Amino acid sequence: MRNNPATIASAVFTYGFVGLMAFLSVFPFIWMVLGATNSSIDIIKGRLMPGEALATNIANFFTLVNVPLVFWNSAKVTIFATVLTLAVSSLAGYGFEIFRSRRRENLYRAMLLTLMIPFAALMIPLFIMMGKMGLINTHIAVVLPTIGSAFIVFYFRQSTKAFPSELRDAAKVDGLKEWQIFLYIYVPVMRSTYAAAFIIVFMTAWNNYLWPLIVLQSNETKTITLVISSLASAYYPDYGVVMVGTFLATLPTLTVFFFMQRQFVQGMLGSVK
Amino acid sequence: MTELQLSDVRKSYGGFEVIKGVDLDIKSGEFVVFVGPSGCGKSTLLRMIAGLEEITSGDLTIDDVLMNDVDPSKRGIAMVFQSYALYPHMTVRENMGFALRFAGVPKAEIEKRVGEAANILELGPLLDRKPKQLSGGQRQRVAIGRAIVRHPKIFLFDEPLSNLDAELRVHMRIEIARLHKQLAATIIYVTHDQVEAMTLADKIVVMRGGVVEQVGSPLDLYDDPANQFVAGFIGSPKMNFLKGVIEAGDGGECYARLPEYGGVKIPVGLKGAAPGTPVTIGIRPEHFKEEGSVSLDLTIDMLEHLGGETFAYARHGNGELVVIETKNGRGLKSGDRITARFDPACALVFDEGGKRLR
Repeated sequence: MRNNPATIASAVFTYGFVGLMAFLSVFPFIWMVLGATNSSIDIIKGRLMPGEALATNIANFFTLVNVPLVFWNSAKVTIFATVLTLAVSSLAGYGFEIFRSRRRENLYRAMLLTLMIPFAALMIPLFIMMGKMGLINTHIAVVLPTIGSAFIVFYFRQSTKAFPSELRDAAKVDGLKEWQIFLYIYVPVMRSTYAAAFIIVFMTAWNNYLWPLIVLQSNETKTITLVISSLASAYYPDYGVVMVGTFLATLPTLTVFFFMQRQFVQGMLGSVK
Repeated sequence: MTELQLSDVRKSYGGFEVIKGVDLDIKSGEFVVFVGPSGCGKSTLLRMIAGLEEITSGDLTIDDVLMNDVDPSKRGIAMVFQSYALYPHMTVRENMGFALRFAGVPKAEIEKRVGEAANILELGPLLDRKPKQLSGGQRQRVAIGRAIVRHPKIFLFDEPLSNLDAELRVHMRIEIARLHKQLAATIIYVTHDQVEAMTLADKIVVMRGGVVEQVGSPLDLYDDPANQFVAGFIGSPKMNFLKGVIEAGDGGECYARLPEYGGVKIPVGLKGAAPGTPVTIGIRPEHFKEEGSVSLDLTIDMLEHLGGETFAYARHGNGELVVIETKNGRGLKSGDRITARFDPACALVFDEGGKRLR
């Protein structure tokens, strides 16, 4: 590489910009970790150094919150939402791409249009529907509206474009029915796509706040996001406790991403090469 | 004995007909090659035989059983694809045994058949590898092995060597020929490479625009093409075509005069050809010799020395390019003026529509 001034300036600008963006992304996480070790007053004062209140904050969090129950609630909702969303959306994406027709294409476009409707506009009709089905204050009400995800269907359809049609032909000659081709060939071949979609859906479901806030009304059914929110909006919020809760709530998504990041990146680039 | 018959088989997409009434008989043990330019319908016809494309009309029978609506896996065929189509998440062994597993064949039998196919194709050491750990040639051998283990009545090959480099293509071509001999199998093979067609086939089916132009043995097609398209497609470098017009000689004999080549006259011996009929004279590059009663004065434009022979690309004053094959071309150079001669008995005559005149 030549060391002329323009190249150096370009490198400084690039690294400076990337560094700034990285810092802005990581700072809230650092603040959360440091905050978990400080008292509420220190946090309000803006202290950004490790403190000595970690044990107290953890003890208070476990006193105020039924931790196993809320984590179980969140896990239940997230696992069902993730598995069902992946199953339904991948089938739909595969179907839209493989069995093309003008009518299905119109249906697909109509489905994509739903991405433009803000959730706020859907809340009340959804709430009324769930009410009529007697599902208010149940985890089914949280999961049901999330499984038909237009974005994930779109993602699977786009990825299916890279699925070699000759594999499908070979499977047909080998005697597989369409559902067997999907199950035994498509799913394993597209596993990186599934991994990327898994991370996206898992994080969305775990962090889901607005809809559970509306349909989950009793403390027995509330998820971790709702509990942290209620701690933060108390009359005298203990921010140290809130930071501990936030940190613990972040751990599952961090773990999932840590173990699946390679597949996530591969999935974003395309499963089939 | 496995016989395959196509009777007036047609295929349309919407209102557009891509296969326009194909009649063909393929006998047991024959190596049949469908050849033709891109878009001629050869792969579509193969896929119709495999059951991967619906037959719009006409009959496909295998051993006298109508197969039009029979599931691909129940037609007694196995197919090898251009891109190999190996399941990337399975090992070579799993790939080869997959169809048998789904057909409910006992595990011991699957192992036996996979072992046999691996022996034939020398795949033994590769059985536990995944396709991505194999070279192109090895993948193609696995794809062939996957077809062999099914003990099909008919093997279908869809341009299986197109993705391989030139050296490997020659090697695999020999492997496939050996396999045909060893298994005595009926093979239908699609290619756009006429060298593959000439070297492998017992019978070549030349297609153009969804129509079978001619069916015959490689040398029959080479020596006795039914029309100008087949004459031009079979043979490399391709046949030279010279524009001419029919004239009657003083003694009633028939000539083709080439006005663009200084009025050279070629006795063609056609019966019933009316004077003034425009024709095309076809002459293969190797038919130009030092001796011959017809001669063309040409200037060499470019030379291709292949060692054993030389291809001279020469032009007449009219600008038309003529390809000449010669064994004595080492002393030639671009710009040389030559007189190329040929025996008129070697010339083929085609009418304006490309049909062979005899």
